[in-house]
Amino acid sequence: MAKMFRRPCRPWLVRLLAGALAIGSGIGGTGSVNQTLNATLQPIAKLSVPASLSLTAGATGFSPFSGTLAVSYRARSTPTGGGTITVRVTSDFLPTGGPSAAAAALTYTCGNASLGTPCSGTQTASTTAQTLVLTLPASACTGGGGSCSASDPASLNVNLSLTDNPSYDTGSYSAQLTFTISAT
Amino acid sequence: MRMSKYLPSLLPACLTLALAGTAHAQFATTGTTTVSVAIAPEAALQINTGTSTLTNSGTTFNSNYTGTTSLTYKVRTTKVGGSGTITLKVTTDFGPAGGPSVATPPTAGDTLAYTCTVTSPGTGCSGSQTSSTSSSTSVATFGTDAKSASAGNGGSVSWTLTNDPQYSTGTYTATVTFTISAT
Repeated sequence: MAKMFRRPCRPWLVRLLAGALAIGSGIGGTGSVNQTLNATLQPIAKLSVPASLSLTAGATGFSPFSGTLAVSYRARSTPTGGGTITVRVTSDFLPTGGPSAAAAALTYTCGNASLGTPCSGTQTASTTAQTLVLTLPASACTGGGGSCSASDPASLNVNLSLTDNPSYDTGSYSAQLTFTISAT
Repeated sequence: MRMSKYLPSLLPACLTLALAGTAHAQFATTGTTTVSVAIAPEAALQINTGTSTLTNSGTTFNSNYTGTTSLTYKVRTTKVGGSGTITLKVTTDFGPAGGPSVATPPTAGDTLAYTCTVTSPGTGCSGSQTSSTSSSTSVATFGTDAKSASAGNGGSVSWTLTNDPQYSTGTYTATVTFTISAT
């Protein structure tokens, strides 16, 4: 067997193959076939937030600390669906002795959103309940313009405000905020 | 030896992957942000009596001019080793000329003196203080880890201005500046 593969092709075999190919190409013609492609797109939504944010002191004594958080998101909702972005304080400020979201020290307002309707007025962040950041409409889609958002990803700013109470101990404190997006 | 042989060709690809990881945000159905804040020592005050009018009840120089200035302060001093003060200074002496003066009174011993009342956590100045145009004088002090109420705490300064026959009749005005600080 090994010897057979090492041998060069026989001339008659080469001629036979060349003839077959020539006949095959002579038979040609054109035709079209329709193929139906079905794609079922499910509602989906994802977001991204900065890993950290440092709040800065106000300009005057005991005015609130503040900071702005940029939330980026992509969403697709069904014609009868919609969606939301919510936030919850999943870990209150630590160590103790400082501000506390459970005591309603952390509030936020929502800036303009490139997709959906941002929260209105001042919201109080909660350690126990999800609070609204943004509402996604039905048939939402991200990027490309037209009936979809112009930008991909879509974005909105969340403006955080933390009361500066004289009763807080001096020191550094941190809390964790978890944003959740959903679409139907 | 083999690794070093392939390293030059693999390095650009590794760098590209690493940069791609940092350049693109991670999208998921939830995202977590750590919010941090540094609470520093801080102090602020508000003078509730914009203009304190000094009056006297006598007519024969047997009573000095007196009045009160009310204030509200907020303070937070460092938890360990902190302190704070409220001071005042006569930043504009009485005018026009011919009347009382803190810097150059017509008679030695004429003073604009005051006593202090401050609610806890502050401690009011002790006894009678003589105000000055050249240096700040004490109104209150705060110790370590002093924290006022959220709405602030109250205090007042009770003024006594010598009634000297040397003063020309008229109305005289001075400006006193209060300063609060905390460390």
